[in-house]
Amino acid sequence: MSGIGTGYDLSTTTYSPDGKVFQVDYACKAVDNGGLALGIKCSDGVVLGVEKLLPFKMLVPGSNRRIAPVDRHAGMAGAGLAPDARQIMSRARSECANYKSFYGDKIPSKILADRMANYLHMFTLYWSVRPFGAAVLLAVRDPATGKYELYLLEPSGECQRYHGMAIGKGRQAAKNEVEKLKLGEMSCLEAVKEAARIIVTTHDEKDKDYECELAWICDDSGGEFKKVPKDIADEAIAAAKRALEDDDAMDAD
Amino acid sequence: MALLASGNVSAAYIPDRDERGGFNFDNVARNEMMSQNGLKFKAAMKTGTTITGVCFKGGVVLGADTRSTNGETVADKNCEKIHYIAPNIYCCGAGTAADTEAVTGMIASALELHRLATKRKSRVVTALTMLKSHLFKYQGHVGAALVLGGVDINGPHLFSVHPHGSSDSLPFATMGSGSLAAMAVFEADFKEDMTEEEAKEIVARSIRAGIFNDLGSGSNVDLCVITADKVDYLRNYECPNERTYVRSKGYDFPPGTTVLNRRNFMTATAATLPVNQIVDIIDGAPEDVASGDAMQTD
Amino acid sequence: MDYGVPAALGVAPELMEEVSTGTTIMACVYDGGVVLGADSRTSTGNYVANRASDKITQVMDNVWMCRSGSAADTQNVCAFVKNAVEEHGIMSGSDEPGMADVKLVANVTMQIAYRNKDRLSAGMIIAGWDRRAGPQVFGIPLGGSLEKCDFTLGGSGSAYITGFCDDTWKPGMSREEAEAWIRRAISIAISRDASSGGVIRLVTIHEKGAEKQMFEPAQHPLAYDELPVIRREEVVA
Repeated sequence: MSGIGTGYDLSTTTYSPDGKVFQVDYACKAVDNGGLALGIKCSDGVVLGVEKLLPFKMLVPGSNRRIAPVDRHAGMAGAGLAPDARQIMSRARSECANYKSFYGDKIPSKILADRMANYLHMFTLYWSVRPFGAAVLLAVRDPATGKYELYLLEPSGECQRYHGMAIGKGRQAAKNEVEKLKLGEMSCLEAVKEAARIIVTTHDEKDKDYECELAWICDDSGGEFKKVPKDIADEAIAAAKRALEDDDAMDAD
Repeated sequence: MALLASGNVSAAYIPDRDERGGFNFDNVARNEMMSQNGLKFKAAMKTGTTITGVCFKGGVVLGADTRSTNGETVADKNCEKIHYIAPNIYCCGAGTAADTEAVTGMIASALELHRLATKRKSRVVTALTMLKSHLFKYQGHVGAALVLGGVDINGPHLFSVHPHGSSDSLPFATMGSGSLAAMAVFEADFKEDMTEEEAKEIVARSIRAGIFNDLGSGSNVDLCVITADKVDYLRNYECPNERTYVRSKGYDFPPGTTVLNRRNFMTATAATLPVNQIVDIIDGAPEDVASGDAMQTD
Repeated sequence: MDYGVPAALGVAPELMEEVSTGTTIMACVYDGGVVLGADSRTSTGNYVANRASDKITQVMDNVWMCRSGSAADTQNVCAFVKNAVEEHGIMSGSDEPGMADVKLVANVTMQIAYRNKDRLSAGMIIAGWDRRAGPQVFGIPLGGSLEKCDFTLGGSGSAYITGFCDDTWKPGMSREEAEAWIRRAISIAISRDASSGGVIRLVTIHEKGAEKQMFEPAQHPLAYDELPVIRREEVVA
C-alpha cells in the first residue's frame, strides 16, 4: 500500500492526493484476511456458505456462527472481523423489525440493502469512527415479488446485487469456481454441494482447523432463511472432503 | 452526530428547544389555571371582522371590512385586512390582528424567495400549504382565520383557512364574526361563472351585510380583484359610514394657536449634557475593559 | 352599563371552537373493489363551516381515506401519510408509481394516529384495491387501533346506522348494490344526526382505477317522516 506513512491514512475524513480513502482500503484488507464467505443465487433460492476458521481446539462446534437470519425472509453471512459483522447483523435486525412495525409488512429487499449500505457508509464519513472491518452477503426473498436476491455490502458503503459472490480469504479462487457454475439451471440443493466443495477446496492447509457453515433461503426452506438441514449439509461437506482426498491421492500417485 | 440516522420515517428527530425556536407552551396549563382562579390576563387585539371571497369567471374577488376592535372599542376605523401574498395572490385575515399580519407577511416573503429561486409565478396551493402547516404547528395558538385567493397557472383558486390549520376549497368563502351575515348573501345569490362586475357587487354586498349586522365589523369596504392579467386593489371601494357632521371651519389650526408663556434658551455644556461621567477611550487599550474595569456612561 | 358579555362580541365563531367534521363516513368491499362514502357537513360548534366539503381524500391512485374528527388533524395526518407512502414507493423502486399497498398505507396511518394519540382527534377509514390482496377496508378509530373489515363506519352519524348496516350487509355485493347500500346508510344518518348533512359523496375503487360521485339532497333516499326536497326553481315556476 503506497500510502503508508504519508499521513493520508489516519482518518476517513482526508483523501489521499490520488483520491483514495485509505482507512476504507484497510477495512477491506481486514475483510480479505477473514475466512471465506460465499453466496450463490440459483433458480429457486440463494445459498450462503462460510469457512469459519477455528483459532482454538476447545471451541464448541457450531458456536460463534457467522451466518445468521435477520428476519424470516432475510439472512446474512459475514466475512472479516466477527464482532463488526455481528454489529452489522444486529443493525439489519433492527431495520427489519422497525420497518415491520411502521409499515406492517416485511421489509423489501432493496430497502433493506439500501438502508444497510447507508449505515455502513456513515462510518466512512467521520473522524471519530472506524469503518467496519467486515463485509456481509445478504440473501433475501423480496416479499412483494417473491424473487430471491443476493447482495454484497462492503465497508465502503458499496452495495451491489450479484448472481454469485465470494469474499474473504481465497475469494479469487472461489469466485472462479462460482463463475464456472451454471447458476440459472442449478437448484439450491445442488448449489449447497458446490458451496461446500468450494469452501473445502479453497481452504488453505496452512490455516488452522475450520468449520463449514451453510444456510439457504429457497422454496425448499419455505421461503425462509434457515440453516441447511444437518443431514444435507453434512453429506455435502463429507462429499467435498472425500473428493478432495481422492484428488490428493491422485496427485500423490 | 447523525451517525445512527437511517432513512426511516419512524426514527423521529426531535430537536431541542433552542434549535426548534418559536413559541414555548410550557406555561399554558399554568396560565389557564391562574385565569380560572380569577387572574385577568391582557387580551390580544382581535379583529371582529367580515372577510369574504368569491370565484368568478376568470378570477377571484376578495373583500373585507375595515374595522379593528379591542374589546368593545374600535381601535382603528380604516385598517387594511386584505394582505399581499404574491403579485397574483392576496389573503384576507380575521382573528388576532398581529397573527394575521405576521403570518401573511412571513408567507409573502418566503414565496418571494421561492419565486426568485424558481423563476415561476407562485401557486395558490403553495401559499395554502405553507399557511396551514404553520397554523397546524401552533395548534390554534396563532389565531389567524384567513380567506386566501389568487390566480395561477391552474386558474382561479379560493380557500378558507381556519386557525387550527384546516382548509376548505370553495367557490365562495366567508370568515370572521360577520361571516354568518355575509354567508347569507352568498347562499341567496351566488351564481357560477359570474362576471367581474357581478362578483364585485356580491362581495361588496356581503361585506356590507357584515358591516351593518355584525357589531365586530364596520366602517368601509375593501375589495381586491385578481384575474390572470391584472390585480385591482380597491381600497375603500365603498364608504357607507361617512361622517354625518364635518366641522365647517375644518380641522387645521394656524401656527401660534397654542399660546407660549415662557421661552428659555441654554448653551450646551458638559453639565447640561445627559452624561454624568466622560471617559477617555484610548485606542488599542482594550485590556482595561477586559480586566474588569467597566466603562460607564450612565 | 352592563350589556351582558360584550367581550365575546367581536370573536369569530371559528375561533371559539375547533373545526370538526361531525360526520358520517363509511366504506365497504364488494366483489372486485371498495366503495367509500361520506356526507359533506363540516361544522364549528353550531355553525356549518362548509356544507359541501370533501371528506374522502386521495392518498394514492388506488388508496383513499375517509376523515372524521378534527379537520386540521386529519388533513395533516393525510398529508403526512401521502408523503410517507410516496417516499416509500420511490425507495422501494415500485414499478407502478402512484399505486401502493393498501395494508401498508393503513399501517402507516395507524402508526401516526397511535404515536400522536394524545394530540390528535382523528378517526379515519382507509380503503383501496391492490394487486396483491384485492379490495380491502381498514378502520382506524380514535385511539389509533387498526382493524381490517368488510365494512366499517365512522363519525358521529355512525351511531344511527350501525344497526342498519349490521342488519342489511351482504357479502359479495356487486358494485351497484354496494353503492346503493352506502347511499342508503348515509342518507339515514343524515336524517337523524344534526352534525351530518349536505350531499353524499362516493368514491369507488377497483382494478381499473377510482371514480368519484356526488349525490345532491334531492337524490337521497327518503327516510321516515321526511318530505321530498322541493327545488327553488320549481317553487318559482
